[in-house]
Amino acid sequence: MSAEREEEGRGLGTPRQRAGEGEEGPSSPAWGQAGSAHRAEALPPLIVVENLHRHYLVGGETVRALDGVSFVVCRGEFLAIVGQSGSGKSTLMNLIGCLDTPTSGIYRLNGSDVEGLDDDALADLRNREIGFVFQTFQLLPRATALQNVELPLVYRGLPRRDRRARAAAALEAVGLANRMHHRPNELSGGQRQRVAVARALVGEPSLLLADEPTGNLDSATGEEIIRLFGELHARGHTILLVTHEPRLAARCPRAIRLSDGRIVGDGPGTEIAALGAARTVHAS
Amino acid sequence: MRRLCRGLLRLSAEVSEGLSIALGSLLGARLRSFLTTLGIVIGVMTVIAIVAIIQGLDAAFEEQVANLGAHTIYVSKYQWMSQGQGEWWLMRNRKDVGLRELEAVEREATLATAVSPQVNVLQGTVTQGDHELRGIRVTGTDTRYLDTSGGNVAAGRFLSQTDVDLSRASVVLGFAAGQRLFPGYEPEAILGHRVRIQGHVFTVVGTMARRGRLLDLDMDTIVFLPFTTFLRDLGGKRSLILAVSAAPGHIEELQDQLTGILRRVRAVPPDRKDDFACNKQEAFLRFYKQLTGALYAVAVAVGLITLVVGGIGIMNIMLVSVTERTREIGVRRALGARRRTILLQFLIESSVVATLGGAAGTALGLFAGELVALLTPLAARSTPAAVVLGLSFSAVVGLLFGSWPAWRAARLDPVEALRYE
Repeated sequence: MSAEREEEGRGLGTPRQRAGEGEEGPSSPAWGQAGSAHRAEALPPLIVVENLHRHYLVGGETVRALDGVSFVVCRGEFLAIVGQSGSGKSTLMNLIGCLDTPTSGIYRLNGSDVEGLDDDALADLRNREIGFVFQTFQLLPRATALQNVELPLVYRGLPRRDRRARAAAALEAVGLANRMHHRPNELSGGQRQRVAVARALVGEPSLLLADEPTGNLDSATGEEIIRLFGELHARGHTILLVTHEPRLAARCPRAIRLSDGRIVGDGPGTEIAALGAARTVHAS
Repeated sequence: MRRLCRGLLRLSAEVSEGLSIALGSLLGARLRSFLTTLGIVIGVMTVIAIVAIIQGLDAAFEEQVANLGAHTIYVSKYQWMSQGQGEWWLMRNRKDVGLRELEAVEREATLATAVSPQVNVLQGTVTQGDHELRGIRVTGTDTRYLDTSGGNVAAGRFLSQTDVDLSRASVVLGFAAGQRLFPGYEPEAILGHRVRIQGHVFTVVGTMARRGRLLDLDMDTIVFLPFTTFLRDLGGKRSLILAVSAAPGHIEELQDQLTGILRRVRAVPPDRKDDFACNKQEAFLRFYKQLTGALYAVAVAVGLITLVVGGIGIMNIMLVSVTERTREIGVRRALGARRRTILLQFLIESSVVATLGGAAGTALGLFAGELVALLTPLAARSTPAAVVLGLSFSAVVGLLFGSWPAWRAARLDPVEALRYE
């Protein structure tokens, strides 16, 4: 047990499985575009999605929110999922985040098949493998930044002292060392989202899942957060960004565009973003 | 082993987290927490206060009954605390207990430490000048009354053997009887005065010290005559009561011995039941326990109803709390809280609220009991058991009524919960 804890390391360092040895520095607006895909070939994929369906029954009618989606995400990738509202991207995010289960199809996360897992197992999987960053931050209002960041470790059953140390390290890593004991309402929007990022990373998950992380921020602060994601990606974190903004997708090495529950584009972020822009222009 | 260890660690982290969340939300909404627990506070307070008062009454009663003497058997043709008219008529038709029985017991009851005959007029009238006492007990007995039935002489002397042998017109007045017949007199000053009892003149030879009450009987208004005089002047066709004392711990053996003696003297055939009764103070206690038992039941019922009302209050506020914190629940679930964790969190919260209410109610109840004891003649006695009971009851109420809201919280779908506005 102690060995495992050591291995889990501290704070914000590198994720458990490194995405390869030769890392690139964080600098360019589009990070590691050339390297990452080729580099990841050698490792087993982190996310495998095959012919995924998610249907809802609304007023006696079946709505196909996801209608046969397949793709693979390798370790160390920085991937955007774009699409307009109603395209099925939220549904996909919920499935990938193990918050929901598919109607049919295969979803494997870090080697384990999510199908057939019970509620407790899903909760444990979320706790270990996924770090969530939400559009509305979703911090607990009565808890301090430190207590908020500690939360995933509480559910992992770590002793208080370990939790404190790791949460403090995570907050330091996102540049909030001097804000640890502030409550969310005493923090700016950007700081809140940084707390949320620290909370997502404190458990050393294999996947960072961000849902419109800049949606509630002004453009300058949004830029800050995106830069932070870039740094994390450079350190080897796998990041999946769900957004409706082509501008953000353009900055990711890879993007997937969803429309009406199907994938209509999968490729370098700039191309997919352009595709979206063209469509939008076309439509209007 | 390792899994178990992990599980325990996780559980303890969850419990301590649950406690801190509970305290946080309690302090975060003080007025609401206070109003929520008010039902529990009042319920527990009522029960604790009533229980304290009943226990005080019990203790006071036991003290009174001790006046009868813990080691004395009262042999009589009437059974104490018997129920039903039919039985009473049956007993009334039994052969009277008389001097023959008295002599036999005096002669043969080797386990008896003292024997005294007693015969009563229950609604007697005593007059002195303009003062008249009605409805008081006149007891004919002898000098051994003090040994079997207790009491102390305040002034003068008790009835002597000579009084009995010569059937003298002597009387010993109970404390209150003396006070009322001779208002303003010192006990010593009453001695030698004359009083009329049922029309006959008696001379006061002594007065008793204060003794208190035994149920509805004021022991201090009793007046004592030599039983020989009593039988001559107030009527000889009366059944005697034989008060027989045993050495401590030998009362059961004495009862067996007395039963044997009386059955023989009264010639009860072996196949018949006793036609007399050996009464003990236990009979009073049993009867009394029945009464207070009913009182207890009522108190507990009232308390339970209040606790249910309080519990519903808690359930209501917990449901509100679950709704208010839907998003929080969603976040916790997303971060890896299991259903069980959420369930535990809300159960801890509701039982903490209820237990705090129970603690306040217990304190207030004990205080109320003391207040009643202070302001009224009722006694109150608080026991540690009542405190434990009050606390555990309220905790159980918290768990019970918190379980549905907690279950609802645990059943929430994380996706829906996160999206909740």
